[in-house]
Amino acid sequence: MSMIRRILALDGVNVVCHFRDDGYLLEGYGLMARDDMARLAQFAHDYRRMAQGNADQLAMFTGMRGWTPPHGWILRGVAQSVCSVGNLVCLVDNDEALLNEIMLELREVSHW
Amino acid sequence: MATLDELMQLPGAMAAFEFRGSGELLEQRIAYPERINESTLDLLAHMCAANMSIATMQARGWEKVTHMKGFYPIQEFTLVGFDWSVVVSGLDRERFKDRGKASLPPFTGVVLANEKADYEAAFATMEKPEPAP
Repeated sequence: MSMIRRILALDGVNVVCHFRDDGYLLEGYGLMARDDMARLAQFAHDYRRMAQGNADQLAMFTGMRGWTPPHGWILRGVAQSVCSVGNLVCLVDNDEALLNEIMLELREVSHW
Repeated sequence: MATLDELMQLPGAMAAFEFRGSGELLEQRIAYPERINESTLDLLAHMCAANMSIATMQARGWEKVTHMKGFYPIQEFTLVGFDWSVVVSGLDRERFKDRGKASLPPFTGVVLANEKADYEAAFATMEKPEPAP
């Protein structure tokens, strides 16, 4: 069984995807069409690059250590959130998801 | 609306701040001035304002292309840095918009030390229901 599948077992996780360094979808599981998983992977890849750039600039302009390299990000919408760590991204239901646990699990699995 | 003092009660809180949609820092509380100062918070606030805007554009685009719902408007943005995280919320602004108000409250944000960060608690504080009038 793919290691990222265990993230799908966490409460509130609807989709989890693993993407390559260029944003190409490597594997994805959950309630989403394959085309949309590819879009989610590309979006997460682009957002990761942007967040990385922002953190780098924040550190450069302020001289404050501890921002880079960033571990991940969370975008929380009205009912759903997107969470990403490393080359993993998942889509979660706000009412059911335990975000602390999900972020820890994403971090652990991203190192495999 | 979560107050800055309430945000400073969160586990690992290093600073809490309010900022305009254009990014200008309005008010702040700082627990460890030797680690983070007003100037850093000002730049952080500008970065968060930019990210909220971009994420909102992406949520709108995502809903349009996938026909999925529940992403727009973005309520909170979180960047998990190497040692620190920042969580910012625009939920109060959305509540004001829903009521048809033209003048919007500021964004609120909190800087957390990752080793103690509790993102669920941060969201719960920022999303607490408004008191009945």
